[in-house]
Amino acid sequence: MAAARTSTTISLPLATRLTTAVFSLMLGVFIIYGVGLSHSETLHDTAHDTRHSYGFPCH
Amino acid sequence: MLVKYLLATIVAGLLAGILLTPAMYVRVVPLILHAEEYENAGGHEHSHDTAAATTAESAPAAVAPHAHEEEEAGPELPFGRLGNTLLINLVAGAGFALVTGAAALILGRKITLQNGIYWGLAGFFIFNFAPAFSLAPELPAMPAPDLAARQAWWLVTVFLTAGGVYLLVLREEVWAKVLGVALIVAPHVYGAPEAEDLSSPVPPTLASEFAVSTLATNLFFWVVLGTALGWAIQHYAASELDA
Repeated sequence: MAAARTSTTISLPLATRLTTAVFSLMLGVFIIYGVGLSHSETLHDTAHDTRHSYGFPCH
Repeated sequence: MLVKYLLATIVAGLLAGILLTPAMYVRVVPLILHAEEYENAGGHEHSHDTAAATTAESAPAAVAPHAHEEEEAGPELPFGRLGNTLLINLVAGAGFALVTGAAALILGRKITLQNGIYWGLAGFFIFNFAPAFSLAPELPAMPAPDLAARQAWWLVTVFLTAGGVYLLVLREEVWAKVLGVALIVAPHVYGAPEAEDLSSPVPPTLASEFAVSTLATNLFFWVVLGTALGWAIQHYAASELDA
């Protein structure tokens, strides 16, 4: 288990990783919300084909 | 802040977003355009907003082309249909890449060129396959229940499936694997919101072709994204992660 996994784990302590991870997660969620779920009409119409293609509930 | 890591994920997301655009134009966008012909020809109450719904309901079939023009001149950004889709795909690619990169970082796992495809497959399963299992990708003009209810179901399903995949794949304990399967299955047992009237102006063949082609297109997107994430993180952020 350990031998196969050591190369794919990150050795940095959680505290170092957490700031970046939380920032990245919030930014990503904000973007996905805007692209896929926001009820703003401009966003809906611009993202229309992508929303349908991605399987987001649309209309 | 691991700036190189963030930039590497964004680069991978933009790359996947660029490549998604031509992939969408192979099958998915032609099917959307085809379905919109039925949307505008039929009097089915398809509502972009309440104003459009009132127009569609009160207007006889002869006025339908006019309603179509109005919809085309909606408040979207002015880059044309292809331009808007490319722009949104770039942004969406970056969004999904950031979320995937963040998940790996929180879990203390490194996305590499070798395992990137598995991260991509997990993303496809969580964001596309699991929601589509009970809430099939919709074409314009297809019957659909309340938008907010479907969006809530979609969100809950994505969260539960993400938790389920983590418990099932990354935890060794038996209870975790059992709970993982339960979390993945739960939203489908509960059931997605269903339309009361299933009659649709869009031919069923188009709808089934659409459901399959979107899943295939999104599978392609996620495989590219996962692999690109592994490559970009190894190339640009390795020094940061091994420090």
